[in-house]
Amino acid sequence: MPDRRRAKEIVFQAVVAILTFSTIAPLLHIIFSVFVEGLPVLIKGGISFLTDTLAPPSDGLGGIGPAIVGTFVLIALSSLMGLPIALMTGIYSAEYPRSIIGRAAKILLQIMMEFPTILVGLFVMELLVIPMGSYSALAGAFALAVIMMPYVAISTEEALKEIPRSYREAAFSLGLSRAQVVFRVLIKMAKRGTLTGILVGMAKVAGETAPLLFTAGGSERIYFRGLNRPIGAIPLLIYQLVQQPYDNYHQIAWGASLLLMLIFLGIFIPTRLLLREVKF
Amino acid sequence: MNSLEIINLNVYYGNRHVIKGINLKIPQKVVFAIIGPSGSGKSTLLRAINRLIELDEDAKVEGDVRLFKKSIYEMDPREVRRRIGMVFQQPNPFPHMSIYDNVALGPRLNKLVRNKEELDYLVEWALKKAALWDEVKDRLGDLASKLSGGQQQRLCIARALALKPDVLLLDEPTSALDPVSTAKIENLLLELKKSYTVVIVTHRIQQAARIGDYTAFLLDGKLVEVGDTAQIFVNPKDRRTEAYITGRFG
Ligand SMILES: Nc1ncnc2c1ncn2[C@@H]1O[C@H](COP(=O)(O)OP(=O)(O)OP(=O)(O)O)[C@@H](O)[C@H]1O
Ligand SMILES: [Mg+2]
Repeated sequence: MPDRRRAKEIVFQAVVAILTFSTIAPLLHIIFSVFVEGLPVLIKGGISFLTDTLAPPSDGLGGIGPAIVGTFVLIALSSLMGLPIALMTGIYSAEYPRSIIGRAAKILLQIMMEFPTILVGLFVMELLVIPMGSYSALAGAFALAVIMMPYVAISTEEALKEIPRSYREAAFSLGLSRAQVVFRVLIKMAKRGTLTGILVGMAKVAGETAPLLFTAGGSERIYFRGLNRPIGAIPLLIYQLVQQPYDNYHQIAWGASLLLMLIFLGIFIPTRLLLREVKF
Repeated sequence: MNSLEIINLNVYYGNRHVIKGINLKIPQKVVFAIIGPSGSGKSTLLRAINRLIELDEDAKVEGDVRLFKKSIYEMDPREVRRRIGMVFQQPNPFPHMSIYDNVALGPRLNKLVRNKEELDYLVEWALKKAALWDEVKDRLGDLASKLSGGQQQRLCIARALALKPDVLLLDEPTSALDPVSTAKIENLLLELKKSYTVVIVTHRIQQAARIGDYTAFLLDGKLVEVGDTAQIFVNPKDRRTEAYITGRFG
């Protein structure tokens, strides 16, 4: 009998292992092929791949400088617009969970998180692009801010709610005002969760394409020109290059993909490791 | 003069009546022990005394609590909490702050000090009062979470004392501690009563007997009996008190 039980156990473990592997296999495959295809491009292109502008069709690699700068400008701008509002929303719904605004915010944020991002792009196009008469960095960043906000707000709210009640009470028992309790004590205890949300939000918008299609417009050959002018972004560039029939454009797209992945992982991994965990 | 006077106090959580018409006078500079079985309303009573209960939206308070003859409901709740300090059952220093900052936070945010020297002085004073200074004076910058449980609890006492309160409320402050740490805190409270009014809720009847000048017995939200600790333990007037302290229920 013990033998049969042991055999069952082994079979079960094997099945779980196979299923687990098959879920992460696509991810591994993406990472693997992006490296295999992209690395030679980055090596061949060298530094100028990071700084030059796009090459003409069928004529070398050139560079994706404007798209790289564009991605960072868009991350910075959208953070500037989205983070303050998102943090306040998260704090508000953690502090006043029963208020009408607090409850509504919670539901709206959940919906926003699942909302098709291309519709966000359309919405911002109507709101900003058409009135302004041009694609712009501002419109692109605004669309990304809308996408980033729910991640930040929800993770802030959850991080605040995870703090044991006893610390809130201790802070209030020192005669602090509610604002002091939240901003001088609790928000720092929720640092890890909040920062994780901010990073997830940033990494997410760094990789977004759809919301930029009708808002940022793209810019492959000219660097950042101003908030009211079109701007490039790496995912947008990849999307545009892959559609072209030129072999060198496909290579550039692989190089850009590897770079995008490195940026994504570069935002994600170090901060995860660096953040000191607060134990309750 | 009494430092605290509790007058016909009733507390409700929703429609649940938890504190039922309690009247109590707590003199100055004593250790006042509150005993009673679990759920009898001891914590609720303490939380009503420093208005911490108002954090709970469901809670409703009727009656009055007077601090040196002045109704706490006519005072700013922040002032009430500054003057009536609180120490909780689980040691809860802010784990992300240094030992120093835990003590300094209250005085700093309440603007009780004008400069760094005054603050340093106050922090040292509070840590000495809480009998913790010698153990931490060389590591004030360490995270509070690195201290032992007993040290953390004394840090919480220092944190409360740094606001120079009139009254110190302690809700089962030693129930999470070992006997040695417990003894340290009990001795500390006996020292503190020379300048403060100390109100301690305790599960351990022996603790009330050891350090309480007065003892109040709560049962099901009602004050059953209050008096000199010696009288309560040697010669209780109420049969329920007697049953409780002899361990027959609760
Ligand atoms: N926030 C709350 N909401 C609703 N009911 C509560 C709340 N806090 C306490 N109660 C109820 O009020 C009653 C008194 O609770 P309280 O915590 O004051 O008792 P206690 O004497 O401190 O008990 P213990 O010795 O277990 O700490 C209990 O029946 C409890 O369930
Ligand atoms: Mg209690």
